Amino acid sequence: MNILELKEVTKNFDGIKAVDNLSFFLKEGSITSLIGPNGAGKTTVFNLITNYLTPEKGSIYYQGEEITGSLPHRIANMGIGRLFQDVRVFNKLTALENVFVAIKKNCGENPFTSLLFHRRVAKQEEKNMAIGLKWLEFVGLSEKKETLAEDLSYGQQKLLSLARLLANDARLLLLDEPISGIHPEMIERILSLIKRLVQEGRTIFIIEHNIGAVLKVSDWVMLLDGGNLVASGLPSEIKQDQTLREVYLGV
Amino acid sequence: MNYLLHILIMINIYLVLAFSLNLLIGYTGLLSICHAAFYGIGAYISTLLMINLGMNFFLALLLSILGAMLISLLVSLPSLRLKGDYFILCTIGFQLIVFTILYNWISLTRGPYGISGIPTPSLFGFEFSTIPRYFLLTLIMGIISFIIIRRILISPFGRLLKAIREDELATQSLGKDIFKVKILSFLIAAGIAAISGSLFAHYVTYIDPTSFTLEESIFIATIIIVGGMGNLKGPFVGTVLLFIIPELLRFLGIPDAVAANLRQMIYALLLIAFMYFRPQGIAGEYKFK
Amino acid sequence: MLIQLLANGIVMGSVYALVAMGFGLIYSTTGIFHFAHGIIYTLGAYLLYLLFINLKISILSSLLLSLAGAASLGIMVELLIYSPLRRKEAAPAVYIISSLGVYIFLQNLIALIFGNETKVIFPGVSKTYHFGSIILTQIQVFEVVAFAILFSIFCIFLMKTRFGKALRGLSNNALLAEVVGIDVRKIRIIAFGAGSLLAGVGAVLVSLDVGIDPNMGISMFLLAAVAVIVGGVKTFTGAVLGGLFLGVIQNLVIWKASARWQTLVTFFILIMFLLFKPEGIMGKKRRLEEV
Repeated sequence: MNILELKEVTKNFDGIKAVDNLSFFLKEGSITSLIGPNGAGKTTVFNLITNYLTPEKGSIYYQGEEITGSLPHRIANMGIGRLFQDVRVFNKLTALENVFVAIKKNCGENPFTSLLFHRRVAKQEEKNMAIGLKWLEFVGLSEKKETLAEDLSYGQQKLLSLARLLANDARLLLLDEPISGIHPEMIERILSLIKRLVQEGRTIFIIEHNIGAVLKVSDWVMLLDGGNLVASGLPSEIKQDQTLREVYLGV
Repeated sequence: MNYLLHILIMINIYLVLAFSLNLLIGYTGLLSICHAAFYGIGAYISTLLMINLGMNFFLALLLSILGAMLISLLVSLPSLRLKGDYFILCTIGFQLIVFTILYNWISLTRGPYGISGIPTPSLFGFEFSTIPRYFLLTLIMGIISFIIIRRILISPFGRLLKAIREDELATQSLGKDIFKVKILSFLIAAGIAAISGSLFAHYVTYIDPTSFTLEESIFIATIIIVGGMGNLKGPFVGTVLLFIIPELLRFLGIPDAVAANLRQMIYALLLIAFMYFRPQGIAGEYKFK
Repeated sequence: MLIQLLANGIVMGSVYALVAMGFGLIYSTTGIFHFAHGIIYTLGAYLLYLLFINLKISILSSLLLSLAGAASLGIMVELLIYSPLRRKEAAPAVYIISSLGVYIFLQNLIALIFGNETKVIFPGVSKTYHFGSIILTQIQVFEVVAFAILFSIFCIFLMKTRFGKALRGLSNNALLAEVVGIDVRKIRIIAFGAGSLLAGVGAVLVSLDVGIDPNMGISMFLLAAVAVIVGGVKTFTGAVLGGLFLGVIQNLVIWKASARWQTLVTFFILIMFLLFKPEGIMGKKRRLEEV
């Protein structure tokens, strides 16, 4: 089944086509990577899916429902999570608090409920604690739960923002360069986490410059240039294509 | 003794103002320069209700809180769609609009002449008419406000406010309606500021628009910025410090005419110095981004 | 009556436009919401008072010295306050708060030295001119003429000179300007000097027209800021259009209601513009989120 589908989506910046009549779909439970040179429009594709940018033309469907032009937080609540290129953790909050913020349907986030129904909120916080700890454990950060996010290493911050997405119960994870700029060991760890998540039925969509690493885990690869798909196929096919290798992969 | 109690009463009133503004500046990251407007709205609503309708103080107080909350929507709905300088300018604009209305709607507010003879509050026949009794009232109201604010700030809602302050986009990407949360934060801050306004009006028994100016809004923001943003200590430190300074000037025997300007100059120097050397304030944990 | 009010509006608007041109120049080149611009304006007026009334220097020398004083004070604020903050890579809010601090400090200093009351430099009735059914005083004519001359000079300066081009480059993209080798520091100083000079011109004209008081700067600054936003930040003509627009609107308010409601109308216009046309009359369309 297709979890996400873009139909003839176009986005201009000052007359320049950043994304040009782009159509593709993602299969549920797969890992798809989106590769391409700088300025190809990769991050713009993510911004269009989460509606930080609204397309001028075309439409976007999530689980068969049109989401073009929906409010960003509504789209997030439908199950589309995003890991930002610049991680964007909440610096002055602890790792655990970062994950707490992500948990959905928290009645304590209404100030009047928090004020008047103290008990109910406290009970819920206890329940959420279990969820929070579970996901910190999953990414291997349980020992850092009381550490402020700003004091974590860059790689740990990437793990934390992944844990945040999982606590948010995202079904489709848009990962913008999840393994760039971090230690090789950390890369292995994140890739193996991604594989486990797919086994649980989540869908992963990755933008990455470290092409060698993502090709190893991907089920499907799409090559974007000039705002449009130049090629797509199985990782093995992409790797073998002589012209693609020379022009884009530089190997 | 009464002199000391008078200062403590004023500190109590300003603590409530400072704690409520800290909710906006320190927790939600919204540099709002219109807190004196809500302070004034609180003062005028409860005064007018008591004088014109003979209402009981506590009922008038409640209605002034609700009134300020309602009016806060007039500024929060438009201004929250803006960022940075434009947001600040919009709140300054709202401050000036409120002042203009208080000053010029003479049939309702008596404009520059002010309203005198504001009745003192009473509860079950107990009149808060002497300074020690009024101190008791402000202390109780201060403690109640503090408990409310503290409970809100340590709740999941407070955590969400901090998340918005740290990174709006990331908070939104986790499915939070940040616009709604900010409006709520404005609503609460305005309502609590109205408590201060009402306490002030019935204490001094005379109000005119000059107590609720842009300068006053800047002063309240100075308390937070100097004291420290984003925790419960900051507003306390700031309020006490900024109230001790004028008393020191008095102690040094500086004449009143000079002291008013001198006080403002010291506050301004503090602002500049803190922005350069310690932008998170004395006891704060957050600095502007 | 209406024609006279429109003429008064253009006179008032000319002064707003002068101060707004100065603020707009500084805001667009440095990105600083220069609140202290208001106090540079007040200082310009008080310098004139000090030199002409207290020290009894001739009016022409007093005027020139006041303008030079305003320009140097503007540059001093940049060098003593903003430049150190820039080295610390301070947040935008830090600049605006420091700027507010400078404003409050100097306003109270002026009040301390000169007192809070309004002072008049030229008492008595001034000469009037008749233009058809419009009557303008001599100083009002000066206000419009000064504005017209300075606006033309600035247009030429911005369009034709090397500095002007660099200034515009900086307002479009500071980083790029630095990369292509423009001396950004020098450009900033020029922006503050020229911007403050414009505020000074507005100040001396108003002080000769209606007199001075220590609070005169805040309302003028806010009007200038509103004019710049309403007109369009990144365009120099925007500030001028915005200033004239506000001048005319304020006089229409006098006609239809009362001068007391001017502030309310001004800020109502600001909020409407911020919401529905945040790029201003002249500006290019920008997305609201970027504002």
